[in-house]
Amino acid sequence: MTVNPQVQDLEKEVSDLESRLQNARSRLALTSAPPQPAELAPPLPRDPLFSPYNHALFLLSDSALPLGSFAYSSGLESYIAHNKPLPRSITPVASFRRFLNLSLVSMSRLSLPYVLAGYRDPSEIETLDNDFDASTPCPVAQRASIAQGRALLGVWERAFRSTYASGSSPYLAGDAATQEAIKAVEAFSDALKSSLDDELGPKGHFAPLWGVVCLAMGMDARQTAYVFMLNHAKAVLSAAVRASVMGPYQAQSVLASKDLQDMISKGIEREWNTAVENAGQVVPPLDLWVGRHELLYSRIFNS
Amino acid sequence: MPIISPFESSIAKSGQGKVVLSLLPPANPSLSTLTYKYPLKLITRSPGFIPQSALTSASQPVHLYLLTYGGGLLPGDQVDVSITLEPRTRLVVTTPQGSTKIFKTTVGPGRTLSDKSRQNVDVHIGREAALCYLPDPSAPFKDSRYEQIQTFTVESTAKDTTRSSLCVLDWVTQGRTSRGENWDFQSWKGKNEIWMIDESSVRSDNAEKKKKKKKLLLRDSLILDDENNNQDQTASKSLVRERTSPHGVIGTLILYGPVFENLSSFIVDRFTSLPRIGARNWSSSVPAAAETTPEYDSKVTFTAARVRAGCVLVKFGAEDFETAKDWLGGILREEGSIAKEFGEEALFCL
Repeated sequence: MTVNPQVQDLEKEVSDLESRLQNARSRLALTSAPPQPAELAPPLPRDPLFSPYNHALFLLSDSALPLGSFAYSSGLESYIAHNKPLPRSITPVASFRRFLNLSLVSMSRLSLPYVLAGYRDPSEIETLDNDFDASTPCPVAQRASIAQGRALLGVWERAFRSTYASGSSPYLAGDAATQEAIKAVEAFSDALKSSLDDELGPKGHFAPLWGVVCLAMGMDARQTAYVFMLNHAKAVLSAAVRASVMGPYQAQSVLASKDLQDMISKGIEREWNTAVENAGQVVPPLDLWVGRHELLYSRIFNS
Repeated sequence: MPIISPFESSIAKSGQGKVVLSLLPPANPSLSTLTYKYPLKLITRSPGFIPQSALTSASQPVHLYLLTYGGGLLPGDQVDVSITLEPRTRLVVTTPQGSTKIFKTTVGPGRTLSDKSRQNVDVHIGREAALCYLPDPSAPFKDSRYEQIQTFTVESTAKDTTRSSLCVLDWVTQGRTSRGENWDFQSWKGKNEIWMIDESSVRSDNAEKKKKKKKLLLRDSLILDDENNNQDQTASKSLVRERTSPHGVIGTLILYGPVFENLSSFIVDRFTSLPRIGARNWSSSVPAAAETTPEYDSKVTFTAARVRAGCVLVKFGAEDFETAKDWLGGILREEGSIAKEFGEEALFCL
């Protein structure tokens, strides 16, 4: 029996060691296990510049921004009517692509210099507005531009101003240029209200105002120009869908296409240094189509 | 009025020209200045036409012929014409040489792309004065480069019938169709501006007022260029053609002021009364709408609208020069006020 306690002790020791081993293994397994997705994601980026600038960008590029752009086809409806019937060799979509290209290039060379000028020197907004009005050749285009410009002013006053002009967002309002833009928008809005019946007074054209409002919201110049052009492309494509030229998926595919992106980028690069005095119409028939929109027997758009 | 130095050199640079038209009492138009230098040539004539006008201010129109040696502009040529119409004068400007030819710019050693042809016309039109500027179109040849800036200044303080009047035509063709040219030039830029100037505020010391004394009333700017700066010759050539298609001639007519008021209304009415596009003809006995329209209105695509301060802007595009010419000449003759105010000769180019 003298051996037995020894055996018992040894057996006890073995079981003890076994349980410790298991314990250690399980702890090892816990610490070296692959990270659980919920608690071990890459660290949240703490870039203070990220959210406010992009937030403004998302607001301004949203198709739900209440500018009423959906009411204008920028001459598309008239173009379709003037090119009816299409020759058999040209499909409606091909004909539309031609129009979209012409419309974008014309927009970039006519309006983009005013967007950039408004962004760079917001205090000149009244002169820019007057010169843009003087350069707009027909009442149809004038009405479309003024309606959207005034809608943008309305959105600023009723929606954006409380956030962007109040100083509640210090990283935005701290910038001197932004401050100047906010002042310019306010002053222009007052001038517009006090001279509504002056034929040569402020009108509220869209392009120069877009530049100023984007600056007031802290956007950078290139984004301002890009969103302006992209919104124009969206409006024309949306008009094309409603005019039954193409379906919504096809329209999205055009909107997403590399061609469209390149065209916008090229336009911005080309007009980056163009003075407003040198802005001009490069697609003369577009003026004719837009101007003759009034002659259409039936219309679903305002331009 | 400043005293003119008798020792002032008449003209400094080539291609410059200066015309000042004054009215001597009681109502004799007289050219107080007329200078020009090669390659520009200016010729004037007073046909003694007495306007049959309802406006009491009407004086006899003087004709100015704008000429260049060779009937066109070579690369590097620059023409600068400054014209002043003193109050109540009337001037008719025409181009008796036919279309202004813009010759080819050759890119090669010793020549740069800046060697384009230029024409600047700067006209000041006083109170109750009137300009009638109906030239031939500009015909840019293959590979040419051209830039034209025409500035018209009117007084902003004048109201109603004392306002200045102007009628300006600016048109460009696809080139020499007989040689197969079809928008084959490299660049054609044309800009027409009307500025309003407030002469009375010049004396004001107030900086705010000074800034406002000049105001742009209208800017009509047309840019037809290849954009690619010659990187790709074949692609660039079709670009202007693609953008002007389907037209072979593009033009703008600008009307402003009391002398052209009737003509303005006439053209705007003509536009607004055009048959609706896409209208159905519900009656079976009446011929289709297209057949009842005036002949030329169906061949020429045009718009006419009052834009600002009573200014009327007419834009048109047509298949070829002859069609546009017959259409415009037809309208101006049918309405008749240009012939009555300036004489039939003012329509020489149409």
